[in-house]
Amino acid sequence: MSRLEAKKPSLCKSEPLTSERVRTTLSVLKRIVTSCYGPSGRLKQLHNGFGGYVCTTSQSSALLSHLLVTHPILKILTTSVQNHVSSFSDCGLFTAILCCNLIENVQRLGLTPTTVIRLNKHLLSLCISYLKSETCGCRIPVDFSSTQILLCLVRSILTSKPACMLTREETEHVSALILRAFLLTIPENAEGHIILGKSLIVALKDQRVIDSTVLPGILIEMSEVQLMRLLPIKKSTALKVALFCTTLSGDISDTGEGTVVVSYGVSLENAVLDQLLNLGRQLVSDHVDLVLCQKVIHPSLKQFLNMHRVIAVDRIGVTLMEPLTKMTGTQPIGSLGSISPNSYGSVKDVCTAKFGSKHFFHLIPNEATICSLLLCNRNDTAWDELKLTCQTALHVLQLTLKEPWALLGGGCTETHLAAYIRHKTHNDPKSILKDDECTQTELQLIAEAFCSALESVVGSLEHDGGEILTDMKYGHLWSVQADSPCVANWPDLLSHCGCGLYNSQEELSWSFLRSTRHPFVPQTCLPLEAVGSASNLTLDCLTAKLSGLQVAVETANLILDLSYVIEDKN
Amino acid sequence: MLSSMAATGSVKAALQVAEVLEAIVSCCMGPEGRQVLCTKPTGEVLLSRNGGRLLEALHLQHPIARMIVDCVSSHLKKTGDGAKTFIIFLCHLLRGLHAVTDREKDPLMCENIQTHGRHWKNCCQWKFISQALVTFQTQILDGIMDQYLSRHFLSIFSSVKERTLCRSSLELLLEAYFCGRVGRNNHKFISQLMCDYFFKCMTCKTGIDVFELVDDYFVELNVGVTGLPVSDSRIIAGLVLQKDFSVYCPADGDIRMVIVTETIQPLFSTSGSEFILNSEAQFQTSQFWIMEKTKAIMKHLRSQNVKLLLSSVKQPDLVIYYAGVNGISVVECLSSEEVSLIRRIIGLSPFVPPQAFSQCEISNTALVKFCKPLILRSKRYVHLGLIGTCTFIPHCVVLCGPVRGLIEQHEDALHGAFKMLRQLFKDLDLNYMTQTSDQNGTSSLFIYKNSGESYQAPDTGKGSIQRPYQDTVVENKDELEKPQTYLKVHSNLVISDVELETYIPYSTPTDTFQTDETLKCLSLERNRLTDDYEPLLKNNSTAYSTRGNKRIDISYENLQVTNITGKGSMLPVSCKLQNMGASQSYLSSSMPAGCVLPVGGNFEILLHYYLLNYAKKCHQSEETMVSMIIANALLGIPRVLYKSKTGKYSFPHIYIRAVHALKTNQPLVSSQTGLESVTGKYQLLTSVLQCLTKILTIDLVITVKRHPQKVHNQDSEDEL
Repeated sequence: MSRLEAKKPSLCKSEPLTSERVRTTLSVLKRIVTSCYGPSGRLKQLHNGFGGYVCTTSQSSALLSHLLVTHPILKILTTSVQNHVSSFSDCGLFTAILCCNLIENVQRLGLTPTTVIRLNKHLLSLCISYLKSETCGCRIPVDFSSTQILLCLVRSILTSKPACMLTREETEHVSALILRAFLLTIPENAEGHIILGKSLIVALKDQRVIDSTVLPGILIEMSEVQLMRLLPIKKSTALKVALFCTTLSGDISDTGEGTVVVSYGVSLENAVLDQLLNLGRQLVSDHVDLVLCQKVIHPSLKQFLNMHRVIAVDRIGVTLMEPLTKMTGTQPIGSLGSISPNSYGSVKDVCTAKFGSKHFFHLIPNEATICSLLLCNRNDTAWDELKLTCQTALHVLQLTLKEPWALLGGGCTETHLAAYIRHKTHNDPKSILKDDECTQTELQLIAEAFCSALESVVGSLEHDGGEILTDMKYGHLWSVQADSPCVANWPDLLSHCGCGLYNSQEELSWSFLRSTRHPFVPQTCLPLEAVGSASNLTLDCLTAKLSGLQVAVETANLILDLSYVIEDKN
Repeated sequence: MLSSMAATGSVKAALQVAEVLEAIVSCCMGPEGRQVLCTKPTGEVLLSRNGGRLLEALHLQHPIARMIVDCVSSHLKKTGDGAKTFIIFLCHLLRGLHAVTDREKDPLMCENIQTHGRHWKNCCQWKFISQALVTFQTQILDGIMDQYLSRHFLSIFSSVKERTLCRSSLELLLEAYFCGRVGRNNHKFISQLMCDYFFKCMTCKTGIDVFELVDDYFVELNVGVTGLPVSDSRIIAGLVLQKDFSVYCPADGDIRMVIVTETIQPLFSTSGSEFILNSEAQFQTSQFWIMEKTKAIMKHLRSQNVKLLLSSVKQPDLVIYYAGVNGISVVECLSSEEVSLIRRIIGLSPFVPPQAFSQCEISNTALVKFCKPLILRSKRYVHLGLIGTCTFIPHCVVLCGPVRGLIEQHEDALHGAFKMLRQLFKDLDLNYMTQTSDQNGTSSLFIYKNSGESYQAPDTGKGSIQRPYQDTVVENKDELEKPQTYLKVHSNLVISDVELETYIPYSTPTDTFQTDETLKCLSLERNRLTDDYEPLLKNNSTAYSTRGNKRIDISYENLQVTNITGKGSMLPVSCKLQNMGASQSYLSSSMPAGCVLPVGGNFEILLHYYLLNYAKKCHQSEETMVSMIIANALLGIPRVLYKSKTGKYSFPHIYIRAVHALKTNQPLVSSQTGLESVTGKYQLLTSVLQCLTKILTIDLVITVKRHPQKVHNQDSEDEL
């Protein structure tokens, strides 16, 4: 009867964004995410006061999943960032910061939400179409025939996550490993439709990062004793594999809804064991060399198989089943009776391996699209962060394979884009407004808010009190150290722009990002030779950034459109 | 413990409640409306502009408020639209009633009402008012709809008889609908999506059953994907099941599928039976038999070219294994809704494994175009290319959005749109017969006395004219083709006017009633048309003049030329359906399916105008009273819609222009493009009036301090 309790009335608040509490919580969230952003971002330690797991991170996915957000508006913001991250892995902080900035900037203007939303949408589509266009001056084609740009992409991701605690050498090593792991998942002779394989990340904590490695095939962790018991196989040809998804422990399977009466003296266990041994005999006569089982194998059957020089490995677990099926080409067997000969698969070889304190049973495939990335790091928290980073990098590489373009990183894309929008709204407002009811003044105001939101995202790359400048030719970002003397000799103080494409020895003019500038046309159409010569670029994933931009603007629009919040108090 | 309320207080209390609700819903009403964020008790957030959802989320405690919410929810169940308008209209009605009894407080009310108000206050019996409301709703309203309003109706169908629907008019209808339902930056996109969906799913013979199917199974027909921008939403041909294959075997060519509702593998015992095991050998043989039987069934399925097995239950490992061996893909654990949807689309009954096994043909298989995994944001789904046997061509909507709450909003809105279309495609019977005799005082008023307007005379005595008239209708069909085709030729022309609507007012089939004004108006319209498009439409105007001789033909023609920005395309001519409606109205009155009016409070202003006219001629004070109150309350809705507009588009301007146009018998010009269903509006009106009657008949509210009873709970489960 407790279900029948009357419901409490909800709490209804109008114009939620004007409330002081919402503003403070929004600015707290903004401070948290901005301080994490970029290679020099500050780390956050998340723990609950009762001990237990401590997480040190600067990544949005880890940060937001641990933060407990109660206000519904903040919840909208964080869930939309989390949803973006779970589909694209990258650019989570960018999305969160941009969204906060947009809300804050627009609120100051005091225009009606209708106008703001409409114009924001126009500006967004302007950005998207520019970033996708041929003339875009901040994206470069990714050449899969050389590793240079791919390495830059991976390196940029690794360096932007300071909580991984990697030195420069380690970064280089891990970037190369990630790239290798990715390349191993691409099938060698693919026609038309490519199905990528999988890189499995294997944990090796408390080891030096430099010891990390990539191996083709699958590693199954085992205790040393178990491993010793496995007999070495010496065979020149490939090994025949049987993979079971059903249990081989001798349980009696589902008997139906009725009752089963067993007469006295009848031992079903024996009957089932007989069946299992029959199965063993069939496997032996089919010349199977390796029996893998997702669940448990009955010790007698194991003994029997071992006697006949068949390796039996059980308790593989459901996560490894799919890669194993893929790698060995087997059909997971669900029957204890006759097994169709087509169900068997093969591996090239098996061996045992020891990494650190762990022992592994290593299955080496004939054709590799499955590989294992053994990842080492000094402690748990740093390892978790590194694992997340590796997954991000692998995902970004996959996305780049689909859309072979990369954006210039280090904040250059954002400043360039802001310059482009300023120029466009200033010189050609009619093409943006079209037939809308908005005025040009409104457009200028919103465009300024939009651009400064973009620019303050990159402004938060600087955490050490330095200054950020932009040049008036390419619209790229340049940063100066905090204690540098205030002289106008910029070319000596600045070396390279944020992405590393241009150096300061060109005849450029700079201005502070915060200061007001005349709108200028940033140079479009990136020259290819400039890209070729630069070896150490900072790059961002195009797909992830585009989606991040869209999600940030859409979410900001949603939040700005709210007129009431109804909180269910039940 | 009792707490009571005075009878007079009940309107006041209801008004207070309604005003609070009005404040909330009016902020999300109309094209300028904003979003409301609701949190669920589970902590999830929901974005909504759906009036019903908002009222539900408030968990109101006030008894009158709860009653109002109940009324709204039962209205929504039927029509899927109009919750916000409901509240606003109800609030204005209550305000009107309150003002009547409280004349000092409202000097704005006209003299007429005040004198009646005194009378009412003297009687002080709300019951009379509520009775008058019931009378109004059941006897007067339908008559006014049929007599006066129907001449303004347009039809959504490009051809009334075949009920064919052209894309542009559906677009107008849906855009107006989604304007009030989804966020401002998405409504165009969502309405396009819905339009695409509609035309992809429907065949030319589509009947009402398809709307029912989509309405009933909407949850199964859409997939929500979070983390992608809204613009990634799309329509996918075929059916998407929200689960992964248990076994997937790529197959092409002739793919057949079966549906099973039980495990294929035979079990030891079925429920209610007993299986006695006497020896180990017996157990082994039965196990062997089960295995062989399963193997044989799967092999048999394969021999029949079955490559896909859909199961509503979990199948044992053995079945899955043999399915894989035989190249049969398996999807398990389908929900009962999914199974019944598939069965309805392809008309397939479940496959039952034969008891006594024979090599017979399996009759319960269906052909599938394709079956493959679909990956949406790294989650795998089953994608089936079903070949529909009914008029529904299976398609799925993939809705993307940054957060779940937004996707739910879009889902809701799309579902509501189907409900609305389902209503629109139905004929609505009006509770009104034109052949009423003179003994009834009220209905005699419907026989139009005289005015400068053109009018129809539903004279029962003229039944003899009916036949020749219907003949002319058939002729008209051919005549109408001409201008239509002509307009299509010039469909690329860009019209400078924002909107030009040419109404050629309705005239009676019996030409004796044709007044001079109508003719004048006719020629006036024609001139206007030729002025604007002389070089292009010369041909057209000649078509007019030739047809002008036939008089009747033109009067059924209603040209609506709208300039859609950017495209510069012309709306196809939507033919007014009065020829159908009028001929039917001789027998019994009904609103034919597909009646629409332009958005922007047109319905309300029209009804307001005719109600006032009616009230002037009314002799009974109650009727005058009720009609006046309803007429004035109706204006509350356009007032909210035009709240933010200024100058030429402010509400007073619009209103004055509309009334002027009606008085001088000129066409109404709407400032907004878009159409809305008349049926929906009509149903809303009657629902509100019923709700008001309910409120008025209550004279005492008794609070009971006891835990809710079971009966009560069942009632509250009906809440939205």
